[in-house]
Amino acid sequence: MLQNSKWLNGLLQLIVVMSLAGCNAAIDIDKALEGYLKGPAKIYRHSLGGAPSSLDPLNSATLYANYIVINIYDTLFRYKYLARPYEIVPNLAVAMPEVSEDGLTYIIKIKKGVFYADSPAFPNGIGREVIAEDLIYSIKRHFDVVNRSQGSWLWDGKIVGLNEWKEAGSNYSDVIAGLKTLDSHTIKITLIAPYPQLIHTFAQGFSAFVPHEAVKHYGRELSVHPVGSGPFKMLRYESSNYALMIRNIKYREEPIDLEFEGYDPILHKKYGIDKIAGKSPPLVDALKIDFIKESASKWASFNKGNEINFTGVPVEQVEKILSQKQPKPILTPEMAEKYHMFNTTETGFVHTDFNMRDPLIGYNDDPVRDKRNKLLRCAIRSAFDWKERNDVFYSGIAVTFPGIIPPVVPEYDPELSNSSTLRNLDEAKRLMLEGGWTTDNVPSLVYGGVASVATRQMYEQFRGWMKDIGYPEEKVIFDSYASFGDFNKAVKQAKIMIFGMGWGLDYPDAQNTLQLFYGPFGAPGSNSSNYNNPEYNRLYEQTSTMQPSTERTQLYREMNNMVIDDCVTISGLSRENIFLWHKNVVSFTDAQIVGGFHLKFVDMLDEETK
Amino acid sequence: MRKILTGIPLILGVTLISFVLMVHFGPDKTYDLLGKNPTQEQITEVRHQLGYDQSFVVRYTKYLKELATMDFGYSDSSGEKVSSILVRTIPVSLALILPGFVLGNLLGVILALIAAYHRGHWIDKIIMGVSVMGMSVSFLIVIIAFQIIFSSSKGLDLFPVRGWDVYSFTDYIRYVTVPTLASIFVSLGYNTRFYRAVIVEEMGRDHVRTAKAFGAHPIELLFKSVLKNSMIPIITRIMFSIPLVVISGSLLLESYFGIPGVGKVTYDAIISGDQPILKAVIGLTAIMFVFTLIINDILYKVVDPRISLK
Repeated sequence: MLQNSKWLNGLLQLIVVMSLAGCNAAIDIDKALEGYLKGPAKIYRHSLGGAPSSLDPLNSATLYANYIVINIYDTLFRYKYLARPYEIVPNLAVAMPEVSEDGLTYIIKIKKGVFYADSPAFPNGIGREVIAEDLIYSIKRHFDVVNRSQGSWLWDGKIVGLNEWKEAGSNYSDVIAGLKTLDSHTIKITLIAPYPQLIHTFAQGFSAFVPHEAVKHYGRELSVHPVGSGPFKMLRYESSNYALMIRNIKYREEPIDLEFEGYDPILHKKYGIDKIAGKSPPLVDALKIDFIKESASKWASFNKGNEINFTGVPVEQVEKILSQKQPKPILTPEMAEKYHMFNTTETGFVHTDFNMRDPLIGYNDDPVRDKRNKLLRCAIRSAFDWKERNDVFYSGIAVTFPGIIPPVVPEYDPELSNSSTLRNLDEAKRLMLEGGWTTDNVPSLVYGGVASVATRQMYEQFRGWMKDIGYPEEKVIFDSYASFGDFNKAVKQAKIMIFGMGWGLDYPDAQNTLQLFYGPFGAPGSNSSNYNNPEYNRLYEQTSTMQPSTERTQLYREMNNMVIDDCVTISGLSRENIFLWHKNVVSFTDAQIVGGFHLKFVDMLDEETK
Repeated sequence: MRKILTGIPLILGVTLISFVLMVHFGPDKTYDLLGKNPTQEQITEVRHQLGYDQSFVVRYTKYLKELATMDFGYSDSSGEKVSSILVRTIPVSLALILPGFVLGNLLGVILALIAAYHRGHWIDKIIMGVSVMGMSVSFLIVIIAFQIIFSSSKGLDLFPVRGWDVYSFTDYIRYVTVPTLASIFVSLGYNTRFYRAVIVEEMGRDHVRTAKAFGAHPIELLFKSVLKNSMIPIITRIMFSIPLVVISGSLLLESYFGIPGVGKVTYDAIISGDQPILKAVIGLTAIMFVFTLIINDILYKVVDPRISLK
């Protein structure tokens, strides 16, 4: 027995040792802010449905990465916190750029006295002042031959001398004609052709100001050790679990002007937004963002009360928390008592594309078959039931719209006929007949997607609709891919016949969705349907240099009609996002274009002021 | 030493098979890492950076070199050094899994002893019935149910739903209790049934009957005469489950309880095709198996001196 107790004792000791080894190095937020903190730390715990892959601005391609990058780093511009439609405003820039008459030259002044957060990357660990040269360095990094950038497309072929700089070997001491500093705080950008979306590119994480010292110090691991001049500073980053940031104590003093931010008492007062007027962001001492994919776990953590303060509402909870879904979602009284809610239509949409490079359904060298293929695509679209898709997969609260210009952009046409989004079986059958399609001669439809329950269910629903127009069940085939990477590869190689896609806008301009159908951007580019209509391409090129105007909007709408008429895609549906947050949090959340920019405005109330 | 040498072919075999699977069936990361509208030149560039353009032999040789030097480079996704990721996450996984693993096996042995001693009796039937119940419920359901029962505001609200803000032993107990209970609940059934079968067989042996005839106390009989002689299969089961438990067993727990361990990192790497992480995890698992074999043999010798290490 004595031997047994020794053995047990040893085992217990081992457990204690292992558990302490598994403890994080102690993080004391109060200590990290020592000397700057008045009272106990205010900690806001946000949640995201996925984890960022990299926090290096070079690769801040996902919503999740961008969310964090723009809070650690500074960008020239940002979007107003509360104004909708979205309005771009200066951030690190002093004012909006001075643009030459021909739209080719931009002069941008940046604020003086802005400093990078302290980091071991700097001499003596003290962050230096942000200068204009930092932006040039940061853009050059995207075109450095040794770097793997996901953001270079924003400026590829747009800035004078930039592509040539890359071709010449990316020597950082070489000057780029179109990217110069006029003084330590003024940048001059010269474009090859007008690029109206340029300022929007400077509101994205890709364009963040990166100090060269940090790149030198951390090398590839800059992706997990971000160093910037944004409102927060990274304290701890567990790449697949959470990011814990503390207030950047060197962040500039900029009292909040609610009127400027687009404050509307009718919309925002109920969230307590008026309480932050005049305060200087960031308003919390620490910001923790948990990356939680598992909706049950996220929901339980949110309802706990002392864990995450914010959640997007999972689809399976929508029915339970709402007393009314239409015309406007309303929380049940019990939920409204406990939480704030905001619902908004996503800045993007989902659509189902036909692969136009597939001669069985898309373009065909035989003009007769080509015409018959178009009739087949149109018949399939007419059989597609957006209402049912909305009810089954999006709680019936999503918004359907015709074509590829979603309701969130200013160029959206509310007057456009929605016939392309309505199910019309008679029309579908008529089109099949007109095309000479019968159960015997229809081509097999291969529906590709990631091997997941939801995708499989969508396929089964699609197959049911096809059956309704006489398509034999065995001719609607599911082609499953083990991972998104494999699926994406197949799409980029134009190997899938029909597939569901989703798109989140990079900026609030329909050009960002119209490029999805621009011929030269076909696979492996973003034009996954491989649509290639010369007239569409011509209009796209024409509008790409036009400033926002009625004329440009008209041309955008013409392009939208072409995509609808050619039955290239079955589109579209913008999902409705419902967000909930605790009553002690002062916030107005937007998960998309404003995205992480809102986090510096989030405040926490104590019990008395709640 | 001889054991270590005989482990080398095992490591080579495991890594070779795993590498073939990774290279031929693993996700292709190229398009995940590219920006919008890439040119063919950019695609080629990324494939080159990922090493996809190299021959299988070159890639496998490089992998063996990485394994020998324990330098697996950087994660293709996060850019973090693979060794830093493993150093950070493996201790967390061990701290998470160890209590459940130890208690699950200890309780399994104890319940098995009780059931075997009362073989055919109602006590035996209850223990076996509960074991089958535990085995039948999905781990996922158990995790969600335990989160609701022990952690959520709708249940007992005693422990955190998720997280791992562990700075002291008290914090550790707070965060590890519910995952431990969940893993014990699920593993207990399997363990108890297996150990019972082993013990029942041992109880029918002559020396046990002789001890009984001498009037040995049940506790003494079970621990001295039965358990000690059943240790070989018990040790084998425990030891061989260690590498799997460390690397993959904690995946669901880590995902649902938001714990930054190596299971979740491995799962994410499998899904995204992050080969540097996968190569490291597979290599380390193979090495761990070899060490497990060696420790296993030593333990055999400890519990049964008749077994020779030669």
